[in-house]
Amino acid sequence: MVSGARTLTGSLLQRSFWGFGSVVAVAYALLPMIWILSLSFKDKRSLTDNRFIPSSISLENYRAIADDPQFSAAIINSLGIGLISTLLAVVLAMFAAYAIVRLDFPGKRLVLLGALSIAMFPPIAIIGPLFNLWRISGLFDTWLGLIIPYMTFTLPLAIWTLSAFFRELPWELDKAARVDGATPFQTFRYVIAPLAIPGVFTSAILVFIFSWNDFLFATALTSTDDARTVPAALAFFTGSSRFEQPTGSIAAASVVVSLPIALMVLLFQRRIIAGLTSGAVKG
Amino acid sequence: MAEIVLDKVSKRFADGTLALQETSLTIDDGEFFVLVGPSGCGKSTLLNLIVGLEEISAGQIRVDGQVIDHIDPKDRNMAMVFQSYAIYPHMTVRDNLAFPLKMAKLPKQEIAQRVHRAAQMLGLVEYLARKPASLSGGQRQRVAMGRAIVRDPKAFLMDEPLSNLDAKLRGQMRSEIARLQKRLGTTTVYVTHDQTEAMTLGDRVAVLRDGKIHQIGTPRELYSEPRNLFVAGFIGSPSMNFLPARYVGGRIILPIAEIRCQAEAHARLTANGIRQLIAGIRPEHIQDPGNTATDLNAGVSFHAAVDAVEWIGSDLYAYFTVRSDSEVWQAMPYDMGSVAMEGGTMRCVARLDPASDVAEGSLYTLWLNIRNIHLFDARTGENLIAPRMLAPQ
Repeated sequence: MVSGARTLTGSLLQRSFWGFGSVVAVAYALLPMIWILSLSFKDKRSLTDNRFIPSSISLENYRAIADDPQFSAAIINSLGIGLISTLLAVVLAMFAAYAIVRLDFPGKRLVLLGALSIAMFPPIAIIGPLFNLWRISGLFDTWLGLIIPYMTFTLPLAIWTLSAFFRELPWELDKAARVDGATPFQTFRYVIAPLAIPGVFTSAILVFIFSWNDFLFATALTSTDDARTVPAALAFFTGSSRFEQPTGSIAAASVVVSLPIALMVLLFQRRIIAGLTSGAVKG
Repeated sequence: MAEIVLDKVSKRFADGTLALQETSLTIDDGEFFVLVGPSGCGKSTLLNLIVGLEEISAGQIRVDGQVIDHIDPKDRNMAMVFQSYAIYPHMTVRDNLAFPLKMAKLPKQEIAQRVHRAAQMLGLVEYLARKPASLSGGQRQRVAMGRAIVRDPKAFLMDEPLSNLDAKLRGQMRSEIARLQKRLGTTTVYVTHDQTEAMTLGDRVAVLRDGKIHQIGTPRELYSEPRNLFVAGFIGSPSMNFLPARYVGGRIILPIAEIRCQAEAHARLTANGIRQLIAGIRPEHIQDPGNTATDLNAGVSFHAAVDAVEWIGSDLYAYFTVRSDSEVWQAMPYDMGSVAMEGGTMRCVARLDPASDVAEGSLYTLWLNIRNIHLFDARTGENLIAPRMLAPQ
């Protein structure tokens, strides 16, 4: 590693190569986002002026979406559905992962493989049946109707992440707690769960991001503000008149919904990476 | 305080391996009982059976007359100290010590009192607010001990509690554990692979191998009257020297000497019709004749080419090789453990007086105290002749 670092910072040529490469990569990834940010601050007239930096900063679009009942309903839906799915997925995954790591039961590998295959299953393939099923059962356009698929599709990831965490906790801790007079549940509650908090956190963030970002289920399984989440709501935005493209409002709304995720990832990136790679190497 | 009785207990794992053969033993109230053996001998399994972390396959375990086979580990009121200490890393030392008491739903005030008392006993008072990560190995070990004593359990079960400490600290904690156990008078079952720990700590020691108890006795009994080759080779450091021997016409013929049998030994050997023997000699029973206080008539002298010498201050270890073409060696190499033998040669070691002038690379006359020779059946490994049944030629 030491020699690698030396070569990286070594010659001027190499340094400028890596520097240039990084700038290109970052620009490629961020330009669309910055463009949206720029659009969101433009007023109606300058929206199509093709300038990258807005000539004047206007909060008109933000005011517009704040006044739009559609958008605030969508934010509440997104938050509620996201948080409930996260809570359910993480709690269920914790129990499942603990059982998978600590218990020896027939079909253990099957559960893990099953979980993996669910994670790889293309969601689009079940949208049609689910749409019909939800309409018949009354789950269509309800919170629960979205919470169930979100929870199901994120459970595998949560189980895998958490079982990697549990696997690293020494088994003797469980045994010590049992001998110290704790029931199996108390052992889990007082000893194992607190120690797995970093893992729980990681999976919670990942699950939340999944449900917050989902567009497919949100458009297919909702029809009104009752359960429509932000990504879906954005697609149904209308301008102030039917002949007007609501570009500015969409841009502002995009910025608003991207912010929490961007912040979360920036704040917890260490945790997320640690959680995803834990178990890969012995600590 | 409790008397623990194992009545024909055995353990077979789900995959069919027999971890513990049928075992019956009684651990007396207040006794310090040590289980010792090489790794994989079933000693930890036996401990787990007593504490209830593993279920017994057959037999019965009784504590003070009460059968505990189907009692959950949390209700057995035994405390365990693990090799890795298994202290809870997210709790402070205080919370670690209080955990078993909280589980037992003791009133807060009493918990505080007991934690304080245990912390005082172990010198942990100033560390109560710390997390385990900021403690040294020895302090963590103490926390593990504290968590065990705080609840006044029926028995302490310790699974190699000292093996993660460095040599000096290990010696220190060893005497501390011994003192603590005497003071509290709590029945203790202690598992170790280290025969020195077993000998110094145990009131009684059980030597295990392959899920079978080979001998139970006081450290002195195990040392001076090992029941078989395995116990003889396992107990004692450096370990016992083994030499092939033949029994011919009232004489024991060793590669280095010939010994006349006393009547009693003679009777035993002829009764069994045994000819092939293995002689076991403790290193301290080979001495430098020029530098020993023992009566030289009680032994025989022999020549040895000393090829290595270790002077450790209190003793001097002289290593030499004995040649023999006896085929006995093929029989029991497993039982003799660490004894190395290649191409008909055996490594032997003598514990000499440090003032002895034995040096490497020369031929010396050494003296063998034959009163202390053990004779084992070469086929079964069983100890046939206790010392003092033999006489010089």
